[in-house]
Order: sequence, then C-alpha cells, then structure tokens
Amino acid sequence: MTKLPKCEDKKLGLLIDLDTCVGCHGCVVSCKEWNSSGDEKQLSDINSHQKDPVGTFLNRVHSYERENSSTNETETFYFPRSCLHCEDAPCVTVCPTGASFKREEDGIVLVNEDDCMGCGLCAWACPYGARELDLVSGVMKKCTLCVDRIYNEEIPPEDRVPVCVKSCPTGARAFGDFNDPNSDVSKKVKERGGVDLMPEMQTKPVNKYLLPRIKSKSSSVSSGLGVEEETNATGLLGWVDRALSKL
Amino acid sequence: MHPAPSIILFTVLSGFGFGLISIIGLLQFFNQISVVNIIIFSLIGLFFSTVGLISSFFHLANKKNAIKSMSQWQTSWLSREAISSIFCLSIVVGNIGWVFVQNLYINEVGIVLFLLSLFTIFTTSMIYAQLKTVPSWNNILTPALFIFAALAGGSILLMDYASLVLLLIFGVLQVLFWYIADQSFIYKETSVGTALGFSKNEDIRAFDVAHTNRNYLLNEMVYKVARKHAIKIRYISFFAAFVFPMSLTLIFPGNFSVSVLIIASHLVGIYFSRWLFFAEAKHSVGFYYN
Repeated sequence: MTKLPKCEDKKLGLLIDLDTCVGCHGCVVSCKEWNSSGDEKQLSDINSHQKDPVGTFLNRVHSYERENSSTNETETFYFPRSCLHCEDAPCVTVCPTGASFKREEDGIVLVNEDDCMGCGLCAWACPYGARELDLVSGVMKKCTLCVDRIYNEEIPPEDRVPVCVKSCPTGARAFGDFNDPNSDVSKKVKERGGVDLMPEMQTKPVNKYLLPRIKSKSSSVSSGLGVEEETNATGLLGWVDRALSKL
Repeated sequence: MHPAPSIILFTVLSGFGFGLISIIGLLQFFNQISVVNIIIFSLIGLFFSTVGLISSFFHLANKKNAIKSMSQWQTSWLSREAISSIFCLSIVVGNIGWVFVQNLYINEVGIVLFLLSLFTIFTTSMIYAQLKTVPSWNNILTPALFIFAALAGGSILLMDYASLVLLLIFGVLQVLFWYIADQSFIYKETSVGTALGFSKNEDIRAFDVAHTNRNYLLNEMVYKVARKHAIKIRYISFFAAFVFPMSLTLIFPGNFSVSVLIIASHLVGIYFSRWLFFAEAKHSVGFYYN
C-alpha cells in the first residue's frame, strides 16, 4: 500500500561521514556485487564489456570542490548518494500499482518487483535520484538497506549490516536506528550536527550526513616543509645559485 | 526531463479526446446538440482518448503489471487518472449506445460526462504538477494549461465564438506558463549546496564524474536542450496551437472543413508545447551533476 506508515518503532538508516569518506567507490562495488548475486537478484548492465556500457546502481559516489570562505582555499570532498529512506517518501505515494512501499516496522522503503509496471514516476518524484529503472527486467531498483542481510540469521551477527557499511575501509558509513536516542548513529548526529539533504523538499530523510570539518590553512603546512623555492640563499649555496643563474 | 514521444502523444491525444467529450457533455446538458452529432463526435473523442491511453501504455517498461495501476487511488494521481479515464470512457460508450438505440438523449448524463472528463484531464496534469522535484511543473498553471488546452481543442469542432474565448484563455495561460518557467525564483530554495546538506549559497562545483558513462538518471532527468531552439519551438508551437486557429476561426466561423484544418494545426502546436513542457523542465537531481 502506498499510504505512508507512522514507523513509531524503528527508523533504520545510514549515517555518512563526508569528513572520513575518501571516495574509493568500495561501497558502490560491494553494493552492486551483493545486489546482483543470487538466484533471483538482478542489477543489470547493458554492453558491460563493450563500448558505452550502462548499468543500474543503487549507490553512486560524486566528487566536489568547495570554496572555504575562511581560508579562501578550495577543498575537495566525496559524496556517496543513495536512498535516504525518507519518512515522507514522495516516491511511495506517487506509485500507481502499490509496488513501492515503506515498512511500518523499520521504515525501510522497498519496491515489490512483482507489482512494478516500470512507469518511472517514482524516480521522477525522488529529489535525490535514488531510484534507477533496470532496463533489462523493466522494474524499478533502489537501496533495500540490505534487508536480506540485516535480519539474516544464516550469516554471523557481525555481518548483519548493509554491505556498504561492512565494506567501507575508512568507517565513513554507519548503520543504526535513528529513532533510538541512545544508538551510536543518533549520538553522532547530536554530537557533530548531522544534516538532511534538500530539507526544503520536506521529505524528512532518515539517513543523515556529517559535513566535512573546516580545515586549517594549508599554506602554513606547506611552507614548514620547505617546499617553496629558497630565494635568499647565502654562503656556498648562494654562490652556486648565483653562478647557475648566470649560465 | 526526457521528452518521451509516448508520453507526449498520451497527453496531447487523450487531452484532446477528453476535451471533446467534455464539450459534448456540456452541449448535451443544455440541449444544444443533435443526436447524430453526439454519436459522431463521441466516437471521435473515444478514438483520440483511447489512442492516447494506448500510447502511454508503450511508455511502461513492464507492461504486464499495467492493470495494477488502478489500485492506489488513495494516494496516487497516476492511479486516479487510470481509473477516471476508464470510467469516463465506459460512460461515453454507454451514452453512445443509449442515444443510438433510443434516438434521444438524457441531459443529466451530459453533465456527468462534462465533469468526469474534466476530472480526467485534471488527474493527467496532476501526475506532473504534484512533483516538487520539478519546480516549473509544481504550480497551478500546469492543471490550468492542460485543462484549457483540452477544452480549446475540443470546442473547435462544435462551437464557434465560445471556442475563440477558450482559445484565448489557453493562449494567455501558455504564455504565462513559459514566462514563469523562465524565472529563476522557482528554484529559489534548492541549490547544489542544499543538495549536499550545506547552506544554499555555498560555493560548490563537481570536479569529477560519479560514473564514466551516461545512466538512467541522466537520460531521464537531466535532458539538455539548446536554448535557442527552445525559443524557436515556442514560436512554432504558439503559432500552430493559437495564432493560426484563432485567425481561421475568426475568418471562417462555423465552417466544418476549415475546423478540421484548425484542429490539425492546433494538435501539432500542442505537441510542440508538450515537447517543451518536458524538455525544458529541470529536475532537482541535476544539482548533483551540476
């Protein structure tokens, strides 16, 4: 059903730390691997080993540069983008077939592929580009928060987290219940000021982001390393410098 | 947004068909139409609406589940559109049958047809107008434009001076829609800054691509069109959909064969207008790829 539930019990989601992410695309690769393996799972590619390959992904990592107004320097950061499992998910309410739904028990937004007709309206309704239509199977694909891992009693308890969290080499991704004020993710959000993406769209995302910290001026570091050219050399070095300059 | 021919044809043809049906309904309610004309023009309306709906079917990537689109009327405008159009067309078929057999018509059925077909056009427009992600669609002008484009088109065959009034309203709405879509204030809240969780005026640029080839998102929602062509197409659309029909209706009021020419021109103009409606619309996901 496309009516949004209250989700008063649990709000599962991801906390992504842009200060820690190094843009390695490890989460992208492991997500693609987990969600394409198995009997019925498919996250297809077209022309995968030829010219102009196109594929379906549930997670993409962008790179940006930002002017730091306090130091007048440009800083780079990486930005993993995936479904935010919004409380007011517009992708769910627009769905005409009932394929899109939000789970009442934990707030995960999912697609029932047996009901999807591939109209693509949910992808249009999502401000974040979190949904991609699989061009081979003709149904909409999106992040499942690895619902087939987090409750899976067949795998060891330490593996019962989304595969992107498990695979992140720098620990930039954390998984937890944002409804529980004592969970690790809730504490971190409080401590470091977790933010919503496009709050003006009124989607109330569950996933939160920690923005890059303001860095100190890099020129003070580089001059200390003596990288800059020595111009006022004296003594023997000064003589060599002057002699070579005359050549 | 990607201007898919199947979707453009759907909004143009079903809009015209339901516009014609609503005009028939209005005339039937006020006793202003003959029995023969109800049958002939209802069949034309039925033809165009059905072709339009079939065209939208070709947009679906997984057609076998299309029937399920009638289930979510409580939240989904697309579901309401599917139900309302099928319901309306059933009444049209019933009305044609009744008029054909009895050789007279029930006025009250006319008002039902009028309201139901107007509601169907409204639901079509709300599929787009509901999307906060596309600011140029997300306002009252979208339903107003869809409804008056349909009514103007539908009235050309059956009305003369009333048709001029409807065309005029459509023309004004069309210019207003383009004017608003060009204003930067419609994007006033969203920027690459808010897309990434910063403040609105943060100075951020993409410095590398997230993927080396195009993908579904870029093909579907980051459709770029050369501005100079967009302006030219606006002139072509406005001339074909508004100026030409307006002048011919003034010169030859009530001339049926001229009406057919007017409709052909009007529909070509509306086709270009809808092409621009999609091609010029900017989706918020574009900020991530700025």
